[in-house]
Amino acid sequence: MLLKLNNIFKWVTTGGQRIFLLKDINLEVQEGEFISVMGPSGSGKSTLLNVIGMLDTFDEGEYNFLDESVHTLKEKHRSNLYKEYIGFVFQSYHLLDELTVQENLEMPLLYKKYKGSERKAMVADMLDRFNIVGKKDLFPAQLSGGQQQLVGVARALIGKPKLILADEPTGNLNSQQSEEIMQLFQKLNKEDGVTIIQVTHSEMNAAYGSRIINLLDGRKI
Amino acid sequence: MLKNHLKISLRNLWKNKTLSILNLLGLSIGVSSVLTLLFSVYAYYTADEHIPDQKSIFYLKTQLKDGNSYREVPYPLLEKVVNTSPEVLAGTHLHGWGNIWLEKGGKEFQHRTDYADPEFFEVFALPLKFGNQETALKEKYSIILTDKVSQQIFGDQNPVGKTLIGADTLNLTVTGVFEPISPYSSFRLGVVLPNTLLKNNPTFIAQTDWSNSFSPAYLKLRPDTDVTALKTRIEQLVQENYTDPALIAGMDLMPYAEMRTDIIPVVDTIISGSIAASLFVLLIILVNLLNLNTSTMLKRTKDIAVRKVLGSSKKSVVAQFCIENGILVFVSILISGILFLTVNLPRLNDTFGPEFGHISFDVFKDYPVVLGVMAIGVLATMIVGIFPTLRFIKVPVTIGIKGKMGQMKNNFLLRNSFIILQFTIAILFISIAVILNQQIRFMKNADLGFERNNILVGHIDLDYKDLDAAKAKFNALLNALEDNPYVKGVATSQAIPSDYYFNYTNYYDAANDKDVRIRRSYADDGYFKTLQVPIVKGRDFNRDMDADEEQAVIINEAALKAFGWTSIEGKRLKFKTDTDPGHPIVGVVKDFHYQDLQNAVEPLVHIYRDKKALEKHRFLTVKVVEGQEKQIEHMIVSAFNAISSRREYEQSRLTDKVSSQYQLIEGILKSVNITAILTIFISCLGMFGLISFLAKRKVKEIGIRKVLGASVAKIVVLLSKDYIILVGIATLIAFPIAWYVMNAWLGTFAYSISIKWWMFVLAGCIALLITAFTLGLQAVRSAVANPVKSLRTE
Repeated sequence: MLLKLNNIFKWVTTGGQRIFLLKDINLEVQEGEFISVMGPSGSGKSTLLNVIGMLDTFDEGEYNFLDESVHTLKEKHRSNLYKEYIGFVFQSYHLLDELTVQENLEMPLLYKKYKGSERKAMVADMLDRFNIVGKKDLFPAQLSGGQQQLVGVARALIGKPKLILADEPTGNLNSQQSEEIMQLFQKLNKEDGVTIIQVTHSEMNAAYGSRIINLLDGRKI
Repeated sequence: MLKNHLKISLRNLWKNKTLSILNLLGLSIGVSSVLTLLFSVYAYYTADEHIPDQKSIFYLKTQLKDGNSYREVPYPLLEKVVNTSPEVLAGTHLHGWGNIWLEKGGKEFQHRTDYADPEFFEVFALPLKFGNQETALKEKYSIILTDKVSQQIFGDQNPVGKTLIGADTLNLTVTGVFEPISPYSSFRLGVVLPNTLLKNNPTFIAQTDWSNSFSPAYLKLRPDTDVTALKTRIEQLVQENYTDPALIAGMDLMPYAEMRTDIIPVVDTIISGSIAASLFVLLIILVNLLNLNTSTMLKRTKDIAVRKVLGSSKKSVVAQFCIENGILVFVSILISGILFLTVNLPRLNDTFGPEFGHISFDVFKDYPVVLGVMAIGVLATMIVGIFPTLRFIKVPVTIGIKGKMGQMKNNFLLRNSFIILQFTIAILFISIAVILNQQIRFMKNADLGFERNNILVGHIDLDYKDLDAAKAKFNALLNALEDNPYVKGVATSQAIPSDYYFNYTNYYDAANDKDVRIRRSYADDGYFKTLQVPIVKGRDFNRDMDADEEQAVIINEAALKAFGWTSIEGKRLKFKTDTDPGHPIVGVVKDFHYQDLQNAVEPLVHIYRDKKALEKHRFLTVKVVEGQEKQIEHMIVSAFNAISSRREYEQSRLTDKVSSQYQLIEGILKSVNITAILTIFISCLGMFGLISFLAKRKVKEIGIRKVLGASVAKIVVLLSKDYIILVGIATLIAFPIAWYVMNAWLGTFAYSISIKWWMFVLAGCIALLITAFTLGLQAVRSAVANPVKSLRTE
């Protein structure tokens, strides 16, 4: 088992009233799953993803990740945990504008104290695997959206995470680009055994996953 | 990692080219002025460092009962003090007695000449490049040269043992060469001779009694000396020996280190002003960098969030910002170093050179300044790198990644207080500049009580080779001038307004039992006519009536008042103890400002001296009909060119002489002006950055307002209103401070303007205009942006 959420609640208090963002979420994710989270705007999809990714906290409940109880960990340990095991892919890619493709890929490795030669090898490997060797010296602004997201996925993968969290990874892409990214996800899941949780609006994209979770007003249905 | 940081920093700086250049510009100019100010302060404080054991060196200062004071004492006092006080290790005089002409191989040289006792080096152990301190002044016919003079006469050779002919007759042996002395030092030496040389000189001997105070005296004391006890003993010696001890209120033992500020009191103002100004400019630069950094942070919050998600630690985010700012700071330090050496230092020398000496920069000597600036640079980098980042690093990742910042209200208040601080300082400087400008204009244009236009001034103390021949030619010139229809007045005198000697004598009026210290000068019968100074009582000098041995005098109204007289009928100027009948007072002139307006008009007496006494007068003054100056000037200059003399004849105008009195204060004004421009410029740079930041934050708001029908003008007002109010607040804070500072400063001028409200309004308007312009530039740009675009990107 990769992670388990027990009775997770998250709320904000506005004008004396509690508004629940997440309400009694129970979820178990096994290694090798490909889960799609669906639901209308404001149903708490992104919040759930942020909680799983440990970027955001929750107010009640238990969260176990690889047998570590996240809710008892200090901020620093939490961030070490997600740095080690989780890769993120964003809707608007979030590549660093002033770095080239190659440098963007290298970035997470810099924070993990890999040696220079190791980093080069890993980056080269990743460029090769994603077929973007020719683009390695270009800056994000010089790439199309699909290509940028490809780099985004590559960057998420380079640290060899167990889990990839993708928040509407195709939200800014056209249908053809979307399909390419989805096929890539499927391949990663099947061939490399990477666990993937994605948030999506599209039924078509959701169909690539092995399981679908539907949210409404912060509640699992 | 470091390489990566550097790379990203450079790309970031390159990407925000405008901002980087603005930043670099503000920093470079700011740092170079801080560097200049700090360097002059440093040079000032270290200038006398080469004098060993300075703490135990003191000089005597005479305090008079009338409140005046001077650094000179009668000649025999020093010897008496040294002989009777065991705690005095050594004592020396150091004084001038006319600058001696030196001859070597047919060439003649003249430099500042000082006379010192043989014990000079026991007091001031100034290091010698060549020669021996112990023997250098022992022999009567010895001479010590400064390095500069030695270079001029002997080149790089060691001149010790060589001879120079002094004053045509003396065979002087060079016994030493000083190590180069800091030009900033209180020692401005040329050549130094032993005062034993003067002991045969009858005029000198006549002066060395107990009534003439003409030489400063320096003492070296044992470290355990009770200074108060010694002071009392010296005062006792004064009472026992002085011809007229009743005048003396006391003798002060002043530490040598205080001598410079004692001589030029405005030095204190300049030095403390420099320190204050550099601190303020530094503060403004820092605030500015903080503001500009903040302004680029909007985009950075996203960056920081992405980095955090990718696993970056806070430390490495801070490091990134520090490096980016470090590059800016150190590049600008480099630029400002170049600016300092090529622009600021020469200008500084132009401005303060005549009073302080020529300053130069030498890495080996002045490395503490370099290290200091580096330290400031590192500190500044840390501050501006760490503070804004800390604020933004706290933004939660989930918010930051959307490029938002969460609540910013508190921070905004903090930043606003920074802006107020910046503008308060800037407006303070502008107000000071405005008021000082008015004061200088007032001093230059005030009615001085004499005519200064169309008056030619010639320097006629030229050390004539053949005096008789010179006098003959000079008389011919005087006659020609008096016959010339364009000449309205001709005079010769020892002094002219702006250039009176510090030559004071005490006169006594037995009837009132009044002792009055009066400044003395000599003038001929044309002096007051030429300068058009009205005679209020009695008559002007008259060639026929005053050409006797009694030496008639004319006093000014201040002297008349000091004696408590109402009429000069039968009055004479007499010494207290002398049986001499004294000078008959023939007239009283209206008070005129013979000194600059920083000083009040003091009692002054002019003693009659014949116009033709070329060897005794210093100035030839000629009043000319408007428009004919050139022609008369030419006539005078060609006459003097025909007279052979050691010094070259110099021709100038009285207006220039009068204005040149304000050279130092104008230098200060110039510095204040530059500082004012600088502070407002840098503050505006920061403001420019901030408003672009604000505009970015409000892109959506601007878009919506425009869609709903707001005009460009309304949006400009929306964006800049708050800042204009901030500048207004800063103005209100700055005015009382400026008023207080300038009121205190103007108080040191004997004649000053009163501070008017419009001066502050002017300063405020200048600041507001510059601010409005800066704001407008950016505000208009954001206001005319297409709302469709800005709304889509949100």
